[in-house]
Amino acid sequence: MNIKTAFSVKTDIQDAVQDIQTQLGDFKTKLLIFFASSTIDPGELAERMEAAFPSAETFGCSTAGEIVTGKMLTNSVVAMAFNRQAIKNSKVEVLDDLNKESHRAFNAFERHFDKPMSKMDPKQYVGIILIDGLSGKEELIMDRIGDFTNVNFIGGSAGDDLKFKETYVYANGKSYTNAAVLAILEPSTEFSFVKTQSFRPLQKKLLVTKANESNREILEFNHKPAAQAYAEALGTTVADSPNHFMHNPVGILFEGDPFVRSPQQIKGDSMLFYCGVKEGIELTLLESTDIISDTKNALEKARSELGSISGIINFNCILRTLELREKGISAAYGELFTDYPTIGFSTYGEQFIGHMNQTATMLVFR
Amino acid sequence: MAGKIKQMIDAFVNQRAQGNSVLEGVVKIKLILKGIDPKIYTPESADDPAIIAKLEELMKEFK
Repeated sequence: MNIKTAFSVKTDIQDAVQDIQTQLGDFKTKLLIFFASSTIDPGELAERMEAAFPSAETFGCSTAGEIVTGKMLTNSVVAMAFNRQAIKNSKVEVLDDLNKESHRAFNAFERHFDKPMSKMDPKQYVGIILIDGLSGKEELIMDRIGDFTNVNFIGGSAGDDLKFKETYVYANGKSYTNAAVLAILEPSTEFSFVKTQSFRPLQKKLLVTKANESNREILEFNHKPAAQAYAEALGTTVADSPNHFMHNPVGILFEGDPFVRSPQQIKGDSMLFYCGVKEGIELTLLESTDIISDTKNALEKARSELGSISGIINFNCILRTLELREKGISAAYGELFTDYPTIGFSTYGEQFIGHMNQTATMLVFR
Repeated sequence: MAGKIKQMIDAFVNQRAQGNSVLEGVVKIKLILKGIDPKIYTPESADDPAIIAKLEELMKEFK
């Protein structure tokens, strides 16, 4: 076994870290990724995790709920350890101010791997991004990463258990806010990606004709006030339309696959979203389907493509987690991952190619 | 003039994907997220200077 998971629900940080260390036993950890409830002090946790695994690179982030093999948790720390047989090479970089350019991190990757980002093979390397979930900078950072490399970056926006005050990323013994951790891994084994969202497209199109892109605000769909056009597409009133947000978000459809944009609120005549959309882009109204069966199918497809699965990192949208909680099926969701060493967390946004909502993006190792 | 944007999009997708069909899809999604939807541009589409400048910049950056 070259990938191993551990978790702790102990409330004392030192006890929790020791618990994880004990579970990992004499496993030779080269890289440790961990996600932790925002109830746990980020600075102390990052420092203690680094000290507990001195020969490993460590990184992670705060959450709005955690996932570990077979379980959905709260108020816990979950960790995934990789040994040298699992990961040949890795480099972790911090963007410690999201208002500044990200070139420094890209230059560091190029020096470390001794090749330009544009020449890195996406079958050989994979990127992980963990980013402050309240920064609103996910689109910008993903866009810049995508400009420089074909390496796929997958990840999630850090959470704070629905307090919406401060989220943290951790790297090599320190914690940061208004920051992102970028890591490039060179796994020894094949890897793949799952992007699953439980929605089907309806035959209603909403063309973004006016937007305030930096605020994730859509002013007009189809040359009409956005709130009115969205309500008309649903066949309801503007006042009632927020009741449909969870089950009827919108998506950019690419070859039938939606990249979901979730409405946040009606603001006068316009609509605020959890994700930015550019003017001129056509959105499709979506309708929710079954998270459990869709996720099960997505995992089975990944297993059949890879042959076997040795580890999964699951970035699962908090809106999916809330729906699972509301329907009382969180345990059933956790059980989907019983056969696979898994860690993950409930995110404030998901990343894969771009930034999206109401989706689970997963990095899957053979 | 017309059709330059479609030509540039095709060249950009080729530059990035080098014939790999999976990568072609990824590059097209990246363009859509930037507000440039490849499927709406044809050989008859007008040459919008703002879109052309954006594509020129993208091609320069991926070196």
